[in-house]
Amino acid sequence: MSLNVDRDRMAFTFKGGMLPMTVMELTSADPERIREQLAGKLSQSPAFFQHTPVVLNVEKLDEPHLALERICAVCRAHKLLPVAVRGGPDPVKQSAWALGLGWFPPQEASRPRPLESVADDAPLAEEFEPDEPAEASPEASAEALPGPTVGGRIYRGTVRSGQQVTAPEGDLVVVGAVNAGAEVLAAGNVHVYGALRGRALAGIHGDVKAGIFCRELHAELLSVAGNYKRLEDIDPRLLGTTVQVQLFDGQLSITSLD
Amino acid sequence: MAKIIVVTSGKGGVGKTTSAAAIATGLALRGKKTAVIDFDVGLRNLDLIMGCERRVVYDLVNVIQGEAGLNQALIRDKRVDNLHILPASQTRDKDALTQEGVEKVLDTLGKDFDFIICDSPAGIERGAQLAMYYADEAIVVTNPEVSSVRDSDRILGLLASKTRRAERGDDAIREHLLITRYNPSRVDLGDMLNLDDIREILAIDLLGLIPESEAVLRASNQGVPVTHDDSSDAGQAYADTVARLLGEEVPLRFHEYQKKGLLSRMFGGARR
Repeated sequence: MSLNVDRDRMAFTFKGGMLPMTVMELTSADPERIREQLAGKLSQSPAFFQHTPVVLNVEKLDEPHLALERICAVCRAHKLLPVAVRGGPDPVKQSAWALGLGWFPPQEASRPRPLESVADDAPLAEEFEPDEPAEASPEASAEALPGPTVGGRIYRGTVRSGQQVTAPEGDLVVVGAVNAGAEVLAAGNVHVYGALRGRALAGIHGDVKAGIFCRELHAELLSVAGNYKRLEDIDPRLLGTTVQVQLFDGQLSITSLD
Repeated sequence: MAKIIVVTSGKGGVGKTTSAAAIATGLALRGKKTAVIDFDVGLRNLDLIMGCERRVVYDLVNVIQGEAGLNQALIRDKRVDNLHILPASQTRDKDALTQEGVEKVLDTLGKDFDFIICDSPAGIERGAQLAMYYADEAIVVTNPEVSSVRDSDRILGLLASKTRRAERGDDAIREHLLITRYNPSRVDLGDMLNLDDIREILAIDLLGLIPESEAVLRASNQGVPVTHDDSSDAGQAYADTVARLLGEEVPLRFHEYQKKGLLSRMFGGARR
């Protein structure tokens, strides 16, 4: 049977993967305007434009036909490599395929239900900007990662099992407890002024400087910029105490504030 | 208009139906005109606990689907005048309930009754959501164990989002905690969660605490709600619960291990 193919003879294996991807959200279909803006960006942060793969998001355009070929040419001329198109009506999909590009359904259709894991969350992937260019150019970084207080969120009350409270930008402050089975997420820091019994994820867009602060640690899971610890990995002596959680050298460190 | 109270828990087997029957009975005994509705379509139990299973002709689904009138389906309790039971259907499933149908039943009952108690099915699916959707108040039944507390927590989240009051942005549903099967001696031994831990996690007002009691099982099997057994601890605890529901201040009972006399303390010292 073909199921037990000799591993040495296999030419490839299929694997699912989540790769950071830059999405170019087009608000104009005019190739000339796109060219102008790209030229400006190129002079600001040349490090960003190194044959970077991009997905062209055309959802915000309300045009049945796009000069997709010209837009792609403009991108390539500025060392951006369009690999796929997201959204748009059927003719756009057809021309994307004709140009050898992939096509993704629009965000609405493919958006996972809110309770699914962060990694699958479409909007997060959208807003993701690679770290490298952000560091290469302070200006670009300021644009990509809003300051910690911008657009933060304060939630008052108990976050209950099955509930998810997210601050897609900035910090999340919970004035109350986060119960087992609940999940709190923030682009910036997560503060819990009560017992943290559920999951807390800070720096969900990759901000390694984000932290988690809570009054009483019983968390099921702590994560900063994707580096996580489960309840089992947490030093039992820290349970029930007031702590801060931060990333040092890629390691999650939990320190008592008592 | 009647006050609509849902008795819910998320988890099964914690005592929802027992509590719905006992509280409805208690309210009726206090002179309130009360209807109790079984929302557990397909797993009808309330009629057994209320001891009226031989008098069921029509049920909630019949009424919703227009096959019977509400007055034909309502069963008058034999023991208390003010109490009526609307049984669930045993042969249909929960899809037979419609939101509009439930609303119509509740509206019609609301004109004649002081209280409508909705006995929710377990789970968080359609049946449970319909039972809670129109509620003004909720009694969340919780056992002193971690899984029950977590499921109650989940239900409290749904009460805050998946109900008419939440959707309209009206005043939030009043949430009450009812702890059942509480056994103070096992709490002392650490086998059960204690009262304060449960209250801290769920963070809602405590309406009542029902001790684990032989009277409850006996009452269920005899089809006489335990509130009638006013010599039993559980019967008294439900009476206290009803009084608190009516706004009275009643001190908490049955939550502490009854200390034995000197002799038994001397000879029963091995307990710890």
